[in-house]
Amino acid sequence: MRRIYLITYDVCDPKRLRHTFRCLRNWGDHLQYSVFECQLTDTDLLRCKAELAEIIHHKEDQVLVIDLGPAASRREDLVEAIGQPYSAMAAPCLVI
Amino acid sequence: MIRSTDHELHDSLSVSESTDDSQYTERFTDYLPVRMINEFVYCPRLFYLMHVEGQFADSYETIDGGIVHRRVDSGNGHLPAVNDPARGEDLCFAVEELDDPPADALMDQLPQPKRKRRKHIQPPTLFGDPKDESEDNISSPVDDSSPNLSRPPSKEHGAETAIDREKEDETPAIIHARSVTLSSDALGVIGKLDLVEATGDVATPVDYKRGRPKKMSDGSLDAWPPEKVQIALQAALLRDNGYRVNEGVLYFNTTRQRVVVGLDSELEKQTVKAIQNARQLFESRQIPAPLNDSPKCAKCSLLKICLPDETRSLMPVIHEHDANAQPTPSDVDIRPMITARDERRPLYLNQQGLMIGKKDDLLIVKEDRKVIQQVRLREINQLSLFGNIQLSTQAVQHLLQMNIPVAYFTRRGWFYGTTQPLGVKNILVRREQFRKADDLITCLRLARELVRGKIRNSRTLLMRNHVEPPRTVLAELKRLSERVLKADSLASLLGLEGTAARIYFSQFTGMLKVKCDIETDPGSALSERRAAFDFRGRNRRPPRDPVNALLSLAYSLLTKDCTIAATIVGLDPYLGFYHQVKPGKPALALDLMEPFRPLIAESVVLTAINNRMVTPEHFIVAGKSVVLSDAGRKGFLMAYEQRMDALVTHPLFGYRVSYRRLLEIQTRLLGRWLTGEIGEYPVFITR
Ligand code: SF4
Repeated sequence: MRRIYLITYDVCDPKRLRHTFRCLRNWGDHLQYSVFECQLTDTDLLRCKAELAEIIHHKEDQVLVIDLGPAASRREDLVEAIGQPYSAMAAPCLVI
Repeated sequence: MIRSTDHELHDSLSVSESTDDSQYTERFTDYLPVRMINEFVYCPRLFYLMHVEGQFADSYETIDGGIVHRRVDSGNGHLPAVNDPARGEDLCFAVEELDDPPADALMDQLPQPKRKRRKHIQPPTLFGDPKDESEDNISSPVDDSSPNLSRPPSKEHGAETAIDREKEDETPAIIHARSVTLSSDALGVIGKLDLVEATGDVATPVDYKRGRPKKMSDGSLDAWPPEKVQIALQAALLRDNGYRVNEGVLYFNTTRQRVVVGLDSELEKQTVKAIQNARQLFESRQIPAPLNDSPKCAKCSLLKICLPDETRSLMPVIHEHDANAQPTPSDVDIRPMITARDERRPLYLNQQGLMIGKKDDLLIVKEDRKVIQQVRLREINQLSLFGNIQLSTQAVQHLLQMNIPVAYFTRRGWFYGTTQPLGVKNILVRREQFRKADDLITCLRLARELVRGKIRNSRTLLMRNHVEPPRTVLAELKRLSERVLKADSLASLLGLEGTAARIYFSQFTGMLKVKCDIETDPGSALSERRAAFDFRGRNRRPPRDPVNALLSLAYSLLTKDCTIAATIVGLDPYLGFYHQVKPGKPALALDLMEPFRPLIAESVVLTAINNRMVTPEHFIVAGKSVVLSDAGRKGFLMAYEQRMDALVTHPLFGYRVSYRRLLEIQTRLLGRWLTGEIGEYPVFITR
């Protein structure tokens, strides 16, 4: 079961910041500056957190993981955008 | 053997290999890794599936365990030499990356993002844990200068400071050695110890565990049997290398509790027995039955592969005196433990001229050198390419490493191949497949069931979707579905199947609810308008009307999924039982898909047309043949995957799973039938 997580970060050092960004790009969509939306299984979350834990400085940086509930029962109005549009896509497959 | 270096280890291995070369295939490598025995004690079937059949899967537990151990292992490579003045010689721990891949070593098999270890930020705690405390609990109270604590940021290259610390401490009471590989010739066991605390010649093995210790009813803490055996083995390894060992310790990462494991003779006996039994099981090549209603299964990483309750419910009853007896409904309670859907989705690349590369764990999709999309590899379970699309070697490498198969289609949707990872080492099931395929009676028995399933399922599709299914047709299909069970040859079976298909397809238009026209031969003098989704029977190569074009594509897609399912289970997709060997024809995949043709492929065609996911504008008529446009194919692929994602109740097991998962379960059951573990292959017939 995938759940939706909002992952935000505050990283002081530019190199670690870059690494954090690159790491999270493998796990979710870059929503805004320092904000990712990720749909993760419990094992994904475990791995993602372990990767982040190795990147950040535990005394200077901070990552927040905000649980927004199961992806399958996502509410239409879970996220509302003011300004630039926001859209969440749910399809059984990806076709490009 | 006090000093166990890489060199000697390899020596002893190669000596034994050469002495019994002839039996090498039937014998286990001479050293059994400790972790394997641990797995054996947890569940012998787990041990068998992993180490005899070579099937692995991750679970929350194995991954978490892997992360715990990666942290434990971090900074290894500089293990302190232990000085033992009493013996006047160096005791040296061999440091070696073992080639044993069990449970939590799995982490290492996954492609890890390339990161340099940043020592200054290397906390021993897991994410979210309070900082810098965790290991205090580990080192014993007398030694609070454990060399394993995270270093202050200033000490960048803290050359593993056990030795430094030793100098600082006047009396080095306890020495900590991490990731220590030891072997014992007497037991034939090798193992990597997370941590050894040694004082003089007394050593204590410490093993890191995820999770929590077992709580006894009186509130005291205890260890589970597999953990105890593991500690006992580690103790034995240390003893064999000259140490005295009085006890072992389990350290639980989540709760940061230390549980001391006493080493009594009872445990020792149990341990020796476990080693023997594990070896025997390996050599017997007989898969042990699944555990009976055990809570371990729900947490087991191999649950999906093992199918414990499902297998049990289908196992032949011991007293089989009545050969004609119908399989009775079993009294095994099947727990719905399997997740209903795959967490990952397929990716289809359909637009001509795309170039696919990779960066980190992303597939980068480019059109005219511009990135048009990035796809996270962790979110996909297969990749299909239609026509002229380029995939870089780096991307292919990464896909295979992540166990993602690639399927190739022509632009028109003809499935012509796959690129698969090396696959499971489960050669045993393949051997049975080849043996059974040689036996005509077995082939016929399975073929009858498959054809019966197909006819029954197509009848159900008619009943569900036809505006007014003619009674005679339904009755005839029912009659044929019974008659096939008496077919005495594959040829007569083929005839009956053909008859049933003709009758069924004669009613196919009755299930289509969209009426509109299509122009044939646009622009030519012969051009005419005719009903777009008129259907007068199957034709192919090339399909001559839209419905046939869609059916062909649907079968292509289903063949792809059955081919992949067969390969995942370890079967050879090219050797079938009903479909006979023909070069390039994935006969087993075609066998597997027979009962699913109506339920998946034909049903998708109906949905795509009736829900207008594909419309007449999506077809290009060229001469006699009809081609689906790229946009039309996109709509159809969506419809197909919607179907694969739809939940269906398993008639035997009672739980709901997606069709994609169902295909995998059915294929695994076929494997079980081939190896003789279950008596009959239960062909999927929907109710
Ligand atoms: S699912 Fe149960 S029976 Fe099967 S391997 Fe795992 S623990 Fe053993």
